[in-house]
Amino acid sequence: MRRVTWLGLVLLTLCLLGTQATVGFTQAKPPITVALVAAMSGGSALSGEAIKRGLSVAIDEINARGGLLSGRTLELVVRDEEGNPSKGVTGARDVIEREKAVAVFGGLHSPVGLAMLPVFHELKVPYVGTWAAATAITRNGRSPNFMFRVSANDDIVDHFLAKHVIEKLGKRKPGVILENTPWGASNQEGLTKWFGRLGAPPVGFEKFNWGDPDMSPQLLRLRQGGADAIVMIANAPEGAQVVKSRAKIGWDVSTVSHWGISGGRFPELTGALSESVVFVQTYSFFGKQSDVGERVIAALKARFAVKGPEDILAPVGTANAYDAMHLVALAIEQAGAADGSKVRDALENLGEHRGLIKTYRRPFTPEEHDALTENDYILVTWRQGKIVPVTMK
Amino acid sequence: MIVQLVFSGLALGSMYALVALGYNITYATSRTVNFAQGQSVMVGAVVAYALYVGAGWPFVPSVLATLLALAALGVLVERVAVRPFLTSASIAWLLATIALGVIAENVAMLTFGKDARAFPSSLAQRAVTVLGAGVYPHELLVPVVGVALMVLVELAFRRTLAGRALRAVAFDHDAARLMGIDVTRTISAAYALSSVLAGVAGILLAPLLNVSATMGTTLGLKGFAVAIIGGIESARGIVLAGVLYGIVEAIVAGYLGTGVREILGFALVVLVLLARPWGLFGVAAPRRV
Repeated sequence: MRRVTWLGLVLLTLCLLGTQATVGFTQAKPPITVALVAAMSGGSALSGEAIKRGLSVAIDEINARGGLLSGRTLELVVRDEEGNPSKGVTGARDVIEREKAVAVFGGLHSPVGLAMLPVFHELKVPYVGTWAAATAITRNGRSPNFMFRVSANDDIVDHFLAKHVIEKLGKRKPGVILENTPWGASNQEGLTKWFGRLGAPPVGFEKFNWGDPDMSPQLLRLRQGGADAIVMIANAPEGAQVVKSRAKIGWDVSTVSHWGISGGRFPELTGALSESVVFVQTYSFFGKQSDVGERVIAALKARFAVKGPEDILAPVGTANAYDAMHLVALAIEQAGAADGSKVRDALENLGEHRGLIKTYRRPFTPEEHDALTENDYILVTWRQGKIVPVTMK
Repeated sequence: MIVQLVFSGLALGSMYALVALGYNITYATSRTVNFAQGQSVMVGAVVAYALYVGAGWPFVPSVLATLLALAALGVLVERVAVRPFLTSASIAWLLATIALGVIAENVAMLTFGKDARAFPSSLAQRAVTVLGAGVYPHELLVPVVGVALMVLVELAFRRTLAGRALRAVAFDHDAARLMGIDVTRTISAAYALSSVLAGVAGILLAPLLNVSATMGTTLGLKGFAVAIIGGIESARGIVLAGVLYGIVEAIVAGYLGTGVREILGFALVVLVLLARPWGLFGVAAPRRV
């Protein structure tokens, strides 16, 4: 970590010097600012770092091509919301009002995304989620809607997980363990709906708080209720405690998880147990890559001391953010101005874009603010600490 | 199921008790506590992690160095956040210790890093079955160490000269001073000792809770609740209350659901405060006239 930070600092200084020089030559072409408000510290800090990397790689590409709006470079400012909704609100205001950001990218924590929602509508700047999956972030009933997302949507993930449990695993009595937060609630709603429609309503919903050390009471209740598979909605630290408690009570049960656990050091915290969990991702840097994939990996290697796909921690953050940044850049170019409202309108009318995760064809419409669909999700697991795709049966 | 819940509660409750013992020692001598006791636990875990895992020291020197560092931290807390406010009969020490805790948490984030890390323990790798319930051997270590520390603290208080000095100071500052006891130094020693206990708790809990900058927050709070319930002046009461609180928590969570757990737990604190302000196992202080 240390070395990465130093390298980062050196690069940052070089970049700053670089920008300084260009500004000197081109005279008065102000940069266009975009912002990231995400958890850069706390148990899910890796997610924030991963998102920042994805954005930076895309920004480098765009600036190397000569920037946007005939020669204005893109600049990223970052605020740490520490997973705390009120800090997210302050951060969002700060980057829009003081730093004049024309688009704000969001991080892993759904409660923060939901809390910031009114700010973006008040200040008329689009939010583009790169991780947080709460359904209500994008499906919020506002018009015009300033919330976009290049990431999973709980409702769609819940359908995906429910289908996997019922159709692939052939289980009939799912039990759900989820965190006691708006993100948990968002999934409780989705899982109730989709398991219900598949004719196998969950035998129980058990909740835990952030920082809870022992999850065995919750798991015992699910086992008592006859659960034959568990669905887990947790971030890395709590997800680790769930899996350790499950092993402790000696319950060998299929465990399927939302992707929160990929935002921290889940394999380090759980050891071999990490391999007993199957979870959802939007992208994998393993396996055969498209030319875009190769390019992104090469850039990550050059810039962040990444040796290969196994060093790309919290990969969905990087992949989603990379595509999100390019879509926003297209929108800025199409809007013809660094203006939040115009960028928002343009986002709803983008054409085709060959991205990392897929080729987007009109990614957002006034009705659909999620660029990724169920067909873009993949199932993965951990093998020796690395995220690898589960071979489809 | 009940056995499993009792085991879970036992491990959890002894964690609370371990933290709460630290409140007992300083309260007894100075009528103040380090409200950042939970953060001291975190510092213990983080320092131990840095030496043992980070720097690759052997286990025993890592532990000794950690405890030494924690003793120094205790002295520092007392010096800057408690002593200046002792004479003025204000509760400024309360805010000052909380502030130090927040600082400690943020320093840890900056230096140690932001993620939860795993602290290896061969006793927390594989669960064993006891009376039909699964348990990590390391979890059984927590109550054992908790009780051992309680006995040690009680013995030290009663049998050693320094311990007698602590008790004398607890009883009456002025009288103790007249007997030639250095009250200021005694209180400082109490803080060092309390901080060392937090360090022991930190090292002991690290493999179970993972090491992170925020690991101490809930512990500190629950530990304080336990100290209040058990009677903050009674080490025995605290250990008993801790274990009971943990078991009640686990059983409530197991049978009534986790939503009810905190409600019942903290309602219990209020009830105890109403019925026996000196705690379940404490002794009502005679009013001095």
